Amino acid sequence: MRRALKIYRILTIQNLKRLMEYKADFLTGAVSFLIDQAIGIAFIFIIFSQIPQLAGFSFEQIVFIYGFSQIPKGLDHLLTDNLWCVGYFIVRKGDFDKYLTRPINPLFHVIAETFQVDAIGELVVGVGLICYSAPNAGLCITPLSMTLFVLSVPFCTLIYTAIKISTSALAFRIKSSGYIIQMVYGMNEFAKYPTTIYSNVIRLFVTYVIPFALTGYYPVLYLITGEDPLFNIGGVVIISVLFFALSLMVWNQGLKAYESAGS
Amino acid sequence: MIYAENLRKEFTKIVKEPGLKGSFKALFHPHKEIVVAADNISFHVPKGEVLGFIGPNGAGKSTVIKMLTGILTPTRGQCWINGKIPQNDRKNYVREIGVVFGQRTQLWWDLPLLETYSVLKEIYEVSDKKYRERMSFLNEVLELDDFIHSPVRTLSLGQRMRADIAASMLHSPKVLFLDEPTIGLDVVVKDNIRRAIMKINQEEHTTVILTTHDISDIELLCDRIVMIDKGKNVYDGSLRKLKQNYGQMRELSFETDTSEHLTPEKFYKGLNLSGEDLTVKNDKNIFNVRFNSEAIPVGDMLNYTLSITKVKDISVKDADIEEIIRRLYKEGADEIE
Amino acid sequence: MKLNKLKRQYIPFMRAGLQTMIAYRMNFLGFVIGGLVYCFVMYYLWKAVFTSSGGATFMGFSMTDMVIYLFLSNVTGQLTFSSASNDIGEEIKDGSISMRLIKPVNTDLSYLATELGCSLMKLIVFALPVIVGLEVYRFCVFGMVEFQPINFLLYLLSILFAYLISFRVNLCFGFVAFYVKNLWGIGILKNSIINFLSGALIPLAFMPEWLKMILEYMPFASMSYTPVMIYMGKYDVNEMIFRLIMQLVWVMITYALSRIIWIGAVKKLSVQGG
Repeated sequence: MRRALKIYRILTIQNLKRLMEYKADFLTGAVSFLIDQAIGIAFIFIIFSQIPQLAGFSFEQIVFIYGFSQIPKGLDHLLTDNLWCVGYFIVRKGDFDKYLTRPINPLFHVIAETFQVDAIGELVVGVGLICYSAPNAGLCITPLSMTLFVLSVPFCTLIYTAIKISTSALAFRIKSSGYIIQMVYGMNEFAKYPTTIYSNVIRLFVTYVIPFALTGYYPVLYLITGEDPLFNIGGVVIISVLFFALSLMVWNQGLKAYESAGS
Repeated sequence: MIYAENLRKEFTKIVKEPGLKGSFKALFHPHKEIVVAADNISFHVPKGEVLGFIGPNGAGKSTVIKMLTGILTPTRGQCWINGKIPQNDRKNYVREIGVVFGQRTQLWWDLPLLETYSVLKEIYEVSDKKYRERMSFLNEVLELDDFIHSPVRTLSLGQRMRADIAASMLHSPKVLFLDEPTIGLDVVVKDNIRRAIMKINQEEHTTVILTTHDISDIELLCDRIVMIDKGKNVYDGSLRKLKQNYGQMRELSFETDTSEHLTPEKFYKGLNLSGEDLTVKNDKNIFNVRFNSEAIPVGDMLNYTLSITKVKDISVKDADIEEIIRRLYKEGADEIE
Repeated sequence: MKLNKLKRQYIPFMRAGLQTMIAYRMNFLGFVIGGLVYCFVMYYLWKAVFTSSGGATFMGFSMTDMVIYLFLSNVTGQLTFSSASNDIGEEIKDGSISMRLIKPVNTDLSYLATELGCSLMKLIVFALPVIVGLEVYRFCVFGMVEFQPINFLLYLLSILFAYLISFRVNLCFGFVAFYVKNLWGIGILKNSIINFLSGALIPLAFMPEWLKMILEYMPFASMSYTPVMIYMGKYDVNEMIFRLIMQLVWVMITYALSRIIWIGAVKKLSVQGG
């Protein structure tokens, strides 16, 4: 574990050094994601210019959900962005060979290799929206609720990571799984709004099958109502750990089928 | 040290017929085919040996190397290296090997070369003291000093290859796998790399397995070769023996003003050789002589030709490895053993 | 004669486009499903908005309009999608763009032909089924066939213009690669800007009046909003003609713009020696 942390730190320092070489690129990336987010929010503003509340949630509450949902997304983006490359081309081009000739866990290695600062766009927007909306969102703030709420963040992030691990691992069998990651990851759109607006089937789907609803709506619901921490927070913890364990299994199975490239 | 036993690797491939129609067909009825990339490959390499692993493109060299390095899992068969089965104990196993794929790099593209080494130092848990020793040794052998502070993307192909070899040697591996380490390099750089490999092998007794298409690599470096073609082991033995049997043919090509008087008969008579050891091809002002260099040394052949005609230009063709393999395969693998 | 030559030279590119689509069908499926997921999220969001607002229409759009708008914008986006910015960008990055200059065909046209092949495939396997679905939906809501063949044909024409504009705009974005290497970030930026400005995210009709005025005259509206509005019959004859002419004008302007940048790029290439 200590060795892993040390390696992670060193790889991340390398990444930051690389960043300094390409400052313009870093700026482009972060600004791009920032603007992408800003446009998403403009949408909410335009809608709320016409209606006072949405599905029983006030403007501030909707903004709070939206903002919070960007934090696990941004954290996962920051830490595990290289999994996209695994799905899109690292496996297809045979570049995964490198990770297999090193005496550390390949999954850890591939994840540790990238520290994607573009994600700052999402994180800044997320934190900004939370700060902006929190005073008027009618939150039920107690030491306990705050602790549980903050505690849920790493587990929400784990859901994103688990989904990316398992979908990118499919590339070991089918060469390129970028489109599957894209497809499944794209469902995080559902996390931005209260699940009560969806039909029952979709609600169950985004809670238990591709559990993105757990990364935004449920933890916030707990903070708004102060009710049912067992599911709203506990559910997040249990389901995320379950999904993560599952994704590791998929990854390890996939690794055995890796065929490299070329002759 | 290294034992490979009946290694076999199968891949499934989807075969597509050409054209738009073929694309549609593949869409609905993908035609799958099993490709055997390596079949029944067995060999043994003792410690400290340099083994040349050769064969034409697509013969399955890389597949075997990837099985030996633990990247691929054999469909059948097994290999032991340092008493370990790569697939079973990958993490501990790879500490003892170094791998270079000539067509890929394991260096961090955008950063100064030295940074890559400092990361690898941690990954392989090399102590500070050992790291300093290694770096000075590798520096001496591979002459990294000139470019160690340059970003990897600015290195020339030859420098990059030296850097990659150093990267694979940092943790003092017992076995070094080099997959086409001289590919795409010019003669001087090739020579550089070869000398480095030789030195590493001599000073550290590192066992080296290398694949190549360049016969000079083999001649200068390898104690022994294993040749495979179409996934099968076709030859295992010393290069000298192979050449004695198959590689003694040389070809000289002369450019002259006129070559009409240079008939094959003239050569047969003049050199006292038969058609078995000598063929002459005559094409206007260029003519080619293929001959057995054991029956007549290259120098004698040159002298003789120069004595009977005026020559404008000469080129010497070595019997290349592809040629040897072609002949070897045609004649069957059994005869040679 | 000239047409024949054109056909001979560029049909292979189109066929290559079709084949690429088939070869990368799963990728395409991924994007289609991703897009549909997005449509469904938006659908439910709008449903909630309509419920919350209590009215049958929201800023002049009924829920049915909204559904048609959402899905049709998505289809239009798929059909007018151009990867030119990515491809050109990658070629600039790895230097293979010089290879483009030595081929004896018009480079833009070869690109265009390949992408049109892709779009044709998308139209058949994706757009038409969705449109049929939308018409069935409309039929169920209104109890009568709402489909307007004239509007559909004009939609196709408008989409062709939209594609040409999108292609040129994308090409211009691709040249950014001369200055920044983070093509992925640029791609995200480009998509979200185009999404917003073209009305694919929110109908331009919902924007504040001043913003709407500006956006309607920008090329982005011509890339998605115009064809969708034409299909939905939101324009009368005069406005329709006006919008189509405006699209045509943008086709020409963006063409000129990309040519100018291209000529600049070629110069820059020769300076870099690359």
